[in-house]
Amino acid sequence: MPKITIFRQACKGVDDCGICTFICPKQLFQASEEMNDAGYLPPEYKGERECTGCQNCMIYCPDFAIVVEKDIGDEAPDKGDENEQE
Amino acid sequence: MTVSIHPLKKYTRSHITRTTTCPGCGIGIVSQAILRAIDELEFNMDDFVFVSGIGCSAWIPSPLYNTDTLHTTHGRPIAFATGVKLGLPNKNVMVISGDGDLAAIGGNHLIHAARRNINLTVILLNNGIYGMTGGQTAPTTPRGLTTITSPYGTMEHNFDITPMVVTAGASYAARWTTYHPRQMTRSIKKAIQKKGFALIEAMSQCPVQYGRVSKLGKAVDMLKDFKVNSVKINKARNMEPEALLGKIVIGEFVDIEKAELSEECMNLRRKMMEAM
Amino acid sequence: MSRNKKVLTGTHFEMGNWACAEGAIAAGCNFVAGYPITPASEVANRLAARLPRVNGTFLQTEDEIGAICSAIGASWVGCKAMTVTSGPGISLMQENIGFAVATETPLVIIDVQRFGPSTGVPSVGLAADMVQVARGSHGDYQIIALSPESPQEMFDLTIRAFSLAEAYRVPVFLMADGFIGHMREQIVIPEEDRTKIKQRKIAEQSVSVLDRRDFLDVKVAPMPVFGLGLKAHVTSSCHDEHGMRNLSDPAVMHTYVMNPIKKIVNHRDDIVQVEDDCIDAEVALVSYGTVSRSARAAAGLARKNGLKVGTFRMLTCWPFPDKEIRQLAENVEYMLVLENNTGQMYPYIKAEAAHACRVSFLGPQTLGQIHDPEYILSHLNRR
Repeated sequence: MPKITIFRQACKGVDDCGICTFICPKQLFQASEEMNDAGYLPPEYKGERECTGCQNCMIYCPDFAIVVEKDIGDEAPDKGDENEQE
Repeated sequence: MTVSIHPLKKYTRSHITRTTTCPGCGIGIVSQAILRAIDELEFNMDDFVFVSGIGCSAWIPSPLYNTDTLHTTHGRPIAFATGVKLGLPNKNVMVISGDGDLAAIGGNHLIHAARRNINLTVILLNNGIYGMTGGQTAPTTPRGLTTITSPYGTMEHNFDITPMVVTAGASYAARWTTYHPRQMTRSIKKAIQKKGFALIEAMSQCPVQYGRVSKLGKAVDMLKDFKVNSVKINKARNMEPEALLGKIVIGEFVDIEKAELSEECMNLRRKMMEAM
Repeated sequence: MSRNKKVLTGTHFEMGNWACAEGAIAAGCNFVAGYPITPASEVANRLAARLPRVNGTFLQTEDEIGAICSAIGASWVGCKAMTVTSGPGISLMQENIGFAVATETPLVIIDVQRFGPSTGVPSVGLAADMVQVARGSHGDYQIIALSPESPQEMFDLTIRAFSLAEAYRVPVFLMADGFIGHMREQIVIPEEDRTKIKQRKIAEQSVSVLDRRDFLDVKVAPMPVFGLGLKAHVTSSCHDEHGMRNLSDPAVMHTYVMNPIKKIVNHRDDIVQVEDDCIDAEVALVSYGTVSRSARAAAGLARKNGLKVGTFRMLTCWPFPDKEIRQLAENVEYMLVLENNTGQMYPYIKAEAAHACRVSFLGPQTLGQIHDPEYILSHLNRR
């Protein structure tokens, strides 16, 4: 199963940014209720069971705030090129 | 196994802990796309010198990137980078700046660097507006858009930057949006390896200024707009101009080999010195 | 063989602009960027031919802004860099002259001055840029500007300009003009090993720029030249001693402006050169550059007429030789300031001298011509 890490202090909030909530093909992110030090509401993750490890959230996060480690041995298909379709 | 640090942080200055951009800004996506290209090519940051100008996107390398960075005056990074490259031909010299910096005040340096075909990688972030100064119209602002300095709508036509740079003589030119960061990284990798002038025009969302005046909305809405309005170049070539109005043509516009200036200068010096 | 020689040791009869180009090469200059402009073009023309033969690079840019920017870029990678232009080019370069000051970049700028304002008269020399090189970029700063009076000095002072630029990490101007730029005279080029050039100090490796002091050292910080793995952070925006941008701390803002100024002012005795021939003189003819030739001739004529006239020449115009002018004012009764313009340095000279002696200004009889020594003499007789 892929492993997701959210660096809450680096995040600029789901309300103001929210790119992770949009770009996740499984829509696994939602705003948390706890602010970070800058007053933003970082995302929380609804669980990794459905995660395909596509790393969209990591690659699209403008603030280097999300890391997705693909589980070795887990042959999750790279859905990263989803947006490349004509 | 849990990471304690973002894997791309090894390329950034350790004492810089936060990015300077507004929430949802596309600059961070491009910043990451650049570092990922360097990572995938297995380059060391010391193989690069970064040069940037004035504006939000000029702050991508300065102060974040952990190598030699030159933050210059408005519009001039390509001119500075030309001196850097000619003096250090064996380093990768990358210019990162915005559309206002590189295509408005610095437009002359952009086309002449492409004409010279000097081996620079230029990442031009195009958000269609002046963000840092508060939302003024840019030479890339679509005609008719109301901005703070075009309160009755811009009457001017906008630049189509990538084709302009192709015409000026670039060896490599590609345009992607922040909805296409993987393709962008792939193009940046090619641009870094290209011996010659290489441009990546990165269409990037500015939710705070452009999103407001265009009424496109927040970052997510602007990314959706990029998704809907992007047309691959191969498809665009078969489309009528009217059908392309309001569309963003994406893809590789040129990828050719030709004589490159910094190498030509080295060859000339070698030839002249040998002729002693 | 000789075409590839670095230093053309020997006696030559050539233009001032030729001498300037050879002075640059003798100083070790290996990067020049320029844009064609009368009356400076011959410097760049010659360097375009000479530099590749001595392992250097010449770049003709799209404009003078591109020229100074690429020269600054080349300086940051360790080149001895120079640009060459005239007044209109200096006007275009102004913003980035400030950049070189703020980032403490060694750079030599050759200004073969011409008749202004605006496009003016390209081929006629005039000391038109004396104030704009010192005060033309926005903000407060100090600059070094040297003023040659002959083709020989265009060689000598170009070398000195490189030494000062490298030693103090500053842009240095050579304020020639169209007259001496195009004048042919004897030029003696010494043996290569007789030419002493100062080299810049280079910063040492450290883990982070926070462990080094790369900027704002009044004693001149070693330069974190690019390409050596020093991970230098260079910005012309307000920065601290590590080069990191700081746009909020007033103490940093103060140091950012003051220390580059102090760097020059504290070393002014090493930088300022004047030629004082006024021992026992009652009248001092104060001048610089081309006009000094007329001043010397006029003083000779005056002495023959029994007048106690001496000359005082500023080889360094900036930093301003205030101390030397004050000293002179205390030893003479009258100071006549001769400039080939409408009095650009005059207010600065008068401010230092007027408390101690009478001071007045004399421009050329017709702007665009150098003072006729007889004209200077007739003015002295009339006073």
